[in-house]
Formats: sequence, structure tokens, C-alpha cells
Amino acid sequence: MLLSLRWLRELIDLPLDGSTLADRLTFTGTEVEGIGRPCEKLKGIVIARVTSLETHPSRSDLLLAHLDRGGRKALCVTAARNLSENDLVCYAPPGATLADGTVLGEREFAGVVSQGMVLSAEELGLPSVETEVGILVLPEGHEPGVDAVTSLGLDDEIFELSITPNRGDLLSVLGVAREVQALVPGSQIREFEVDLPRDEAVWPVGFKGITIADAGCPLYGLGFIDDITVAPSPLDARIRLALLGQRPISNIVDATNLTMLFLGQPLHAFDFDRLPEPEITVRGARQGEMIRTLDGKDRLLEEGDLLITSGGRPVGMAGVMGGENSEVHEGTVRVLMEAAWFDPVRVSRTSRRLGIASEAAYRFARVVDPARCLVSLNYVHSLLAGWGAGRPEARIQVSRQREWDLHEVTLTRKKLERYLLWDDLTEAETILYRLGFQAQSRQEDRLSFIVPSYRPDVRIEEDLIEEVARIRGYDDEIIPSRLPGRPKDRGDIGATFRLWRKLREAAMARGYMESVQYSFISPESIEAIGLGEDSEERLLLANPLSREQSVLRPLLLPGFIEALQANLRKGWRQALRLFECGDSYGGGDGLELFREKRRFGAIVFVGKERQVLYGTRRREDFFSVKADVDALFRACRVRPDYRPGKLPFGHAGQTAMIHVDGEAVGFLARLKPILEKELDLGGALYAFEFDLDVLLERDLPSFATEVPFPAVLRDVSFLAPRNVAVADVEAFIRSHGGAMLDKVELFDVYEGDSLPVGFRSLAFSLSYRHADRTLVDAEVEADHQVLREALESAGYRLR
Amino acid sequence: MSDHRQDVQQMREAFAVALAEADGSDQLEALRVRFLGKKGELTSALKSLGRLPAEERPEAGAAWNALRGEIERALESAKSRFRLLEAEAEEHRQSVDVTQPGCGRPYGAFHPVVQVMHDVVDIFVGLGFSVASGPEIEDDFHNFEALNIPPHHPARDMQDTFYLERKGLLLRTHTSPVQVRSMLRHGAPLRVVCPGKVYRRDSDPTHSPMFHQLEGLLVDEDVSVADIKGCLEVFVNEIFGRPLKARYRSSFFPFTEPSMEMDVECVACSGRDSSCRICKGTGWLEIMGLGMVHPNVLRSGRIDPERYNGFAWGMGLDRIAMLKYGLNDLRVLFQGDAAFLSSGGVL
Ligand SMILES: [Zn+2]
Repeated sequence: MLLSLRWLRELIDLPLDGSTLADRLTFTGTEVEGIGRPCEKLKGIVIARVTSLETHPSRSDLLLAHLDRGGRKALCVTAARNLSENDLVCYAPPGATLADGTVLGEREFAGVVSQGMVLSAEELGLPSVETEVGILVLPEGHEPGVDAVTSLGLDDEIFELSITPNRGDLLSVLGVAREVQALVPGSQIREFEVDLPRDEAVWPVGFKGITIADAGCPLYGLGFIDDITVAPSPLDARIRLALLGQRPISNIVDATNLTMLFLGQPLHAFDFDRLPEPEITVRGARQGEMIRTLDGKDRLLEEGDLLITSGGRPVGMAGVMGGENSEVHEGTVRVLMEAAWFDPVRVSRTSRRLGIASEAAYRFARVVDPARCLVSLNYVHSLLAGWGAGRPEARIQVSRQREWDLHEVTLTRKKLERYLLWDDLTEAETILYRLGFQAQSRQEDRLSFIVPSYRPDVRIEEDLIEEVARIRGYDDEIIPSRLPGRPKDRGDIGATFRLWRKLREAAMARGYMESVQYSFISPESIEAIGLGEDSEERLLLANPLSREQSVLRPLLLPGFIEALQANLRKGWRQALRLFECGDSYGGGDGLELFREKRRFGAIVFVGKERQVLYGTRRREDFFSVKADVDALFRACRVRPDYRPGKLPFGHAGQTAMIHVDGEAVGFLARLKPILEKELDLGGALYAFEFDLDVLLERDLPSFATEVPFPAVLRDVSFLAPRNVAVADVEAFIRSHGGAMLDKVELFDVYEGDSLPVGFRSLAFSLSYRHADRTLVDAEVEADHQVLREALESAGYRLR
Repeated sequence: MSDHRQDVQQMREAFAVALAEADGSDQLEALRVRFLGKKGELTSALKSLGRLPAEERPEAGAAWNALRGEIERALESAKSRFRLLEAEAEEHRQSVDVTQPGCGRPYGAFHPVVQVMHDVVDIFVGLGFSVASGPEIEDDFHNFEALNIPPHHPARDMQDTFYLERKGLLLRTHTSPVQVRSMLRHGAPLRVVCPGKVYRRDSDPTHSPMFHQLEGLLVDEDVSVADIKGCLEVFVNEIFGRPLKARYRSSFFPFTEPSMEMDVECVACSGRDSSCRICKGTGWLEIMGLGMVHPNVLRSGRIDPERYNGFAWGMGLDRIAMLKYGLNDLRVLFQGDAAFLSSGGVL
């Protein structure tokens, strides 16, 4: 919210400067995000009176304005047509600076030297206060020769306040003044007077009154203003609005806005003669009802929306926006002025649903002070009367459904001490008193306070403690720092974090770079890797920022591919290894659609470079990546199995499912070469991903407790059908190798033209070992022979 | 009598000269043959001992044998010296250019935010907090209502929420839901921190739709504002590696009462640079929100607010990482940019 410091000072005596006040507000919970000085650059501008006007001797399109600037004379040449003799204007003599920073000098117009210029509103930096084209003509009351910036109140400081949602009471000059009065010792709010004419005006004949048919409006007040002349408001009002970033519109509208800014009560003006019937009813909307709001949009209403109606027809959405049908316009003569209290939740729901962020809705949603309803009507009436804009009726019609309960909250010495290590109830009472809280009953250890009507946010004792604490502050002299004692237990980093840490350290040690990808990706990136079909399992955002970030990632891989492509576009050519430990979402079994799984994922891109330092055998391939997966699992004390697998994006011949304890927990695959090509990667891409859950809380590894006896080694090599997996061959060897067979290790694989078609040569190194003694060759021989025969009879051709 | 001594001395000198000239192990063999071979000079001298008078023989024999011992030792040590020299010469032939790059994979790289997350967790574990976690896909109850943010409360405007198409689900806007989940699971007393990804519908150079928070919660009997100040000041000093001045501003969060924001002295300029871009010349950095847990939140966690109270805080880990490592664009953190990630090297 923007706040004029000048306006604040009109209401409260302030013994401090703007920036000190800003600090004080900021520290007590109302952050001053900035202090603006909209007319900061204006310099040397003075008030002047046009003493005479004459046409330029040689240029009929120009006027010569003779000015009196307080005893001194000046001559200006101007092209403006709206000047008259005796007008008061803003005059910028040579050397003065305009709002845009232009420094004026003397300038010659066809033989006449213009000494500076007379200014338009735009040149003063306030284009919106202009009511006619040309020079800004000032009302009487400004003294020629006086500094115009001061005289017009342009030297204002505008505070940009960030008001927290609980403090709706601060959304007005009066509210801030109350707060400031509590914050700044020695400051005092001035009484402000509301003058109203006492005669002439009468309620319109035939007005049937106010009907309230919904509990969402417990209080509804109407004022009446007759004989209105819709016109621009006075210059000082226009300037005030303009400095606060609001556009002056007309006296009626500006008066309601100024009243709201001053007192916090949103008002609405109905053109009485445009109401369908001479009556006002507040009721709930019916499903499907429509209203065209004054911004010209048709709004579809729902049950629960609060409506202002007349003759059964909607004329306004209560607290949100008025209807176009009863809007004040140039010819308006009679106005009904509304000040009410609408249910904050109802207003909030309607304005959010329809996306109407009006100033009124903003304030009603933050709870306006019911005690300010009448004052506000009186204030707006007195403004309009003072401007001569119409004749307000002194009487105001109010329909009241209920009275507000006075809230009483108790503050105890015990809780004050507990929270703040401080228990001075007397000082606490002083602080609360300045904030408007009246002590009701006093006991030694407790005080009860009546909460003022403008502080509905204060409901419990902790709220009172906060009020006291924020005024006292949190500096060390007020409340010390100490470490909380008595922890129940040591802190535990927990299994998931511990595992995550092991994995990331292992991955980084093997050359992977840690990355963090967005959890939401584009549907295209999922389709790009052939995962489009089961889209009903995707988790979509209802309100994504963009299509690129609209689907929760079912796998980490699509994000990695996008990252890789971005890297390639930026010229990356080397190998790239990225990993992330993060969640994947959905993609589950259909039962748990929103299943969220902590996963480890990585990609290995072999790089676009043709040349690899120290030779091509340094290139990555399926098995080098597999070694990384093994290492990561090993860091978690788990031995995975790999089984040939099939994935929509996986290379038909280089895709493995990773199994742990018989359960598939992830995959290791090369991307389909056709996809590598479509994605324009320019090199092979390997990827692996697995769930973390299965790796949690594994047993400690069991080391050999004694030094093992020496092993006897035997090699065996044979031709095996190409389609038999090494894992199966190894399992065969283990099951036929006898009790002494200890380790089975593949040491050579050969496939080539010299071998029969459909076969490859495998060579294993076997170690036989006995737990209790050193073996001799002969003992092993028998077992080994049995194994060889078993292999042979199973169709392996021994070599 | 003096004859053989002179002869021995002459031969000793002759050997010394010859040895000094030798420059390889094959020449040592020639020397051995010359002096100690079957027909060698020393062998001959020993053979001629018989010609001496009997009383001189023992002494002369001893002298020649002593010289023989000296020569043998000298040859042996020269031999091992030459062996070393030759081995070294071979090493020189195998020399590499040590300035060539190493091969194999270099160490990978840390992500600054993840690193900071782990560092922050370690600090709080040291203060007796345990790590808790909760889902990123949340429901309205845990993300809002249980935290004292009823539907249509203006506080919901503080956080623009991503909703899932599936009704009732949303992406958590803060890590605070874990407070309630932890209270329900563990009861009081309680000390937990919850780090993780959070989401808000916001994107510009200082806001990312996804970022990282760490939420902390302590519930116990008689907890005061002094306790949270102490805890967080220890944390700040640890994470930035030096004592930093701290100050607290009153603020508002629906789930704490009283609520505050903590500022720390600018890590870049310590308030000495009025044109500092990090603190915009204020000398202070907003670092986190904190407060005493609202009784309604304790009730949501089925904890008796008359017996227990507590404090909670929430901090942006991305911001701390950016301050700690001097980064200035939030969005580059989540693009998997290899040049950026590798530039940090080992943190
Ligand atoms: Zn700084």
C-alpha cells in the first residue's frame, strides 16, 4: 500500500523524519519497502500570476504571458490556449528543473525571448491531474513567488508499505496513524472534523429502504447526495490521488477513493436514478445469475456470492465491484453512497474466483472496522459538500443485523515470562494501551483487555504477547540468545539422507556432476522418448506457468535429456555425466496415481568429440556405465542383478532392468539410437535410474573373520550360444562346480567371424577353496572335471 | 722389508686410479680381471710371496690380503652404484611429461544447493534436531489448514500455489506441512528439520517456481524466543563460517505467533559498502522467517498447547547457497548447465 507521509502528518504530530519512521515501522512488522519522492526532480518552480496576455507580434499561434512572480516580473512565450489573465500558474524560470530532469534556459521565439516557461501537469510529473489540454491552472489560494513544490504539496514522501494479511487495519492513513501513535512516544493523533450542511437535503421521495437478506452483511449504511454536478475534483485532491498512483476520475469517485484511503472503509456510489427500483436489497446470488460489472465484463455468479440488488436485479457485487447499470456517470444528479461490512470470506471467495483484485475486495477480505462505517459516510459527505459537488443528506440510513461482540483476551504473567523471559505486566499494559487495548480486569498475575474493533486479528494470549514483543523489539538487551536445553535425543540425519549422501559422494567420486532439475517438464519431452501412450498416468498441473513446465516428471530422464540438449546448444562437446537424487511422480501402477518416489538418476553422454585424449578405449560404453551402477549399489551394500529389459526409449539390445532381492528397482539402458538421432545428440547416451527405498537400512557387510586358505585356480573356456546370458552361464557353473568352488569370474568374451554362427567364446577363471585347509591340485581336479562334463553335456563346446 | 709395503701401496694407488676412470659396469669386470683374476696383478703378487723370507711372509701376506679385501669391496660398491645409475638412465628413457593431463575420470561436481542442504542439516543435527521428510505432493489440510491458514484467508495470497488436475492435491508451497506430520508421528518433545523442494507459481530472476527450503521445529516445555535466537545464530555463524551480526524484525506468518524475520549482516560487505549489490546498500540480508509455534498448529499436531510450546523457522536454501557461493542468478541452478556446475569444482 502507498502512504502519503504528508497526509499522515496532517493526522498525527510526528516528532521524527521519514526514514526514522520507516525503520520503526519495518522493525515492528510493517515493512517499508521503499520511500518514493515522485516529484523529486522539480526544482526552482514558483507560483506566478498571469498579469496580461498578448499575441506574439509575428507569430499568431503564440501568446506572450506577462507574469508576476511575487513582485518580480517575467515574460513567457507559450502555445497553450487555455490561459486567461489573472490565472495562477506554475512558472519555471531559467535554471529551474522539470519533472523529467530538463533544466530550463531562455529561449527565443521569433524575436521574443521567453524567460523559462509556464507548466503543464505533465511537466510537473503528474499528467493524470490534468483536466484540460494546456497549462495547469491553479485554484486561488497560492501565493505568487512561493515555491510551487511546497505550495502544491508535491514534496511528499510516499511510503511503500508491505502490510501483512493480518493487519487489514493498517490499510488506511488513520490505521497507520494509530500504529504510529503506539510506536512513537510523543506522537498524538489529531481529532479530525466532519462538517455537514444541516438543511435542505432530504431523502429521495419514494425510497423504500434497505433490506438485508443474507447474514454475510450484518451492517449496511447508505448516505444520500442530491443536486450533484459531476466534475473534476479540486486540484489538491487530484494531486493527492496522483501522488498515490491513483488516477483522478471525478469528484464523486475521487471522494469515495480518498475516504477509503483515509479511513479504510470502501465505499460505493450508486446513481439513484438508474436503480431499477427505489430500494436496496442485500442477498446471496442465485446459481447462474449474471451481472455486468462496471469494467464492462459479464460475470457469472454462484451461490455464496453476495449481491446488492434493486428491484430484484443485481446492481453490485458486494464489496467486490459495482454493476455497470447503476454506475455514476457525467449526468448523475442523485447518488446513494454505500458503506457496509461484508463477510471477508465471502468477498475473498468471490473476488478470487472471478479474478477481481479491487481495492475494495482487498480491504473487505482483510476485515474492515465495523465502527468506521458511519464515520466514513459522514466524511465522504463532508468532502463533497466542501467541494460544492452536491448536497449531502445529514441523515444516514443504516440497517444492522447484529452488534459486534467485544472480545476480551487475557494476558498472564506466566506466559509472558515463558515466551519473552520478561514479566513486567505494568509495562505490557502501557504498551497495549497505546495500541488501543483497554485493560478491563486486573489481578496480580493476569490482565484482561478489550480488543479494539479494528484489531480482529488479536484473539488469543499469544497475539497480545506478540503485540508487546514487537513494540519492545527483539534485540539482545531486550531478550537474550541462548541455546535450548534438554534435547531428548541426539539428532539423527535419518536413513534416507544417509543413503543420499553415500550415493552422491560415490557418484561424484566417479566423475558425475550433481544437478537439480525442475520437477515439472513438458509433455513433449516425455513423448520424445516414446512415453506418450500411457498419458492417463501422468500428473498434470492444473495451473502451470507454461506448457514447458506442466507435467510432473514420471522419470528423471526427460529432464536430463532437456538439460543435455541445452548444454549441446551452448557448445558443450565433451563427455557429460549428470546425476540427481530427487523425486519422480506418478507413472505408477494406476492405483497410486500420485505416487511420489525418491529416485537416483543419471545420464552418461559419450560426447561429440571425435578425438579422445589417450585413445578411444577411454570412451564410455554400456559396461563402463554398468560399473558405475555397481559401484553406487556397492556403496549402499547392495548387489544388484541385471536382466535384459524392454523400455520404450531403451536400445533393444542394450537395456537392462536392475533387480534387488528379486524386485525390479530401476533400469540401465542406452537410448535407442533412432532417438539419439531424433534428439540430435550426436553421440550415444546411457541412462540409469533406480528407486532409493529398496536400498534403505541394509545390513552391515560381513567381512571374512579369518584369513582364507589359499585357492586353487582353474580356467575354463568354451563356446556358448550367443543368446545365453553370462549370468545364466555363471549360475550354471556355480550349481555344477561343487562345494569347493568359491569365485567365478569372467575374464574373456570373444565374438568373431572365426567362431560358428550364433556362438561366442567365454572364458572364466574359477577359484576353488576350502574353509579349513589348503587344497591340493588333485582334490580340485575331480570337481573341475565334473563341471567340464556338465558344461559339455549342456551344449557348451569346451575349447 | 719396506719393499712389499711400497708394492702394496703402489698397487692400491694404481687400482684407485683405474677405478676412478671406470664409467660402466663392464669396465669393473676388466678391473677385477686385471687385479684379482687368475693372472691378475694382486694374484701374482700373492703367488710371489713364497719368494720372501719366511719371517716376512705373514706380514706381507696380510698386507696383500687386506688390499685384496679393499679392492673387492670397492668393486662391489662401484658395481651397485653403476647398477643404480644404469637403472636411472633407463628411467629417464621412460620419462613422461608430467604436465600432460591425467587420464580417467576427474572428480565430479557438487551442486551448491544440495551441498548447502547437507551442510545445514549437519549443523542442526549437531543441535539435536533429526531430519524429517514429507511428500512434495500435498493436500490442502497439511499445506494450509493444519497450519492455521483456512480457505479464503488472505494469507493464501502470500503463496501462489500450483494445483494438480487431480482434485485436492497441490505442490507444497513450503516445507511447513512436515511440522504437522512430525508432530502427529512423534509427539512432544520434538526437534526436527525438514529440507526439500517447494513450489510457488512465480518466475523471475529472483523467484523460481521450484526452490528449496529447510523447515525447523522444536517443541518442548517452556520454550522462549531466546531459544530460537540462540539456535539460529549458531546456525548462521556455522554456515557462513564466521560470526555475523543478527537482528530480528516483527512479521506475520499464520503458523507462528509471535512471528519474526531474521536479518544478518551482509556477507559480502558487512555493511561497509553503500553500493553493495547483495544487500542493496542496507548492510543486512533477510535470511529467514521464524516464530513461536501457533497454538492452533500444535493442536493440529495433537500436542497440548498449554503444556508445550515451541518455535519454528523456514529458510530458503537456494538463497543461502547463493549468498555463500556468491551466485546471482537463481534460475541457472536448475538447468543442469555443465559449464556452471563444473565451474564450482570441489566446494
Ligand atoms: Zn552488502
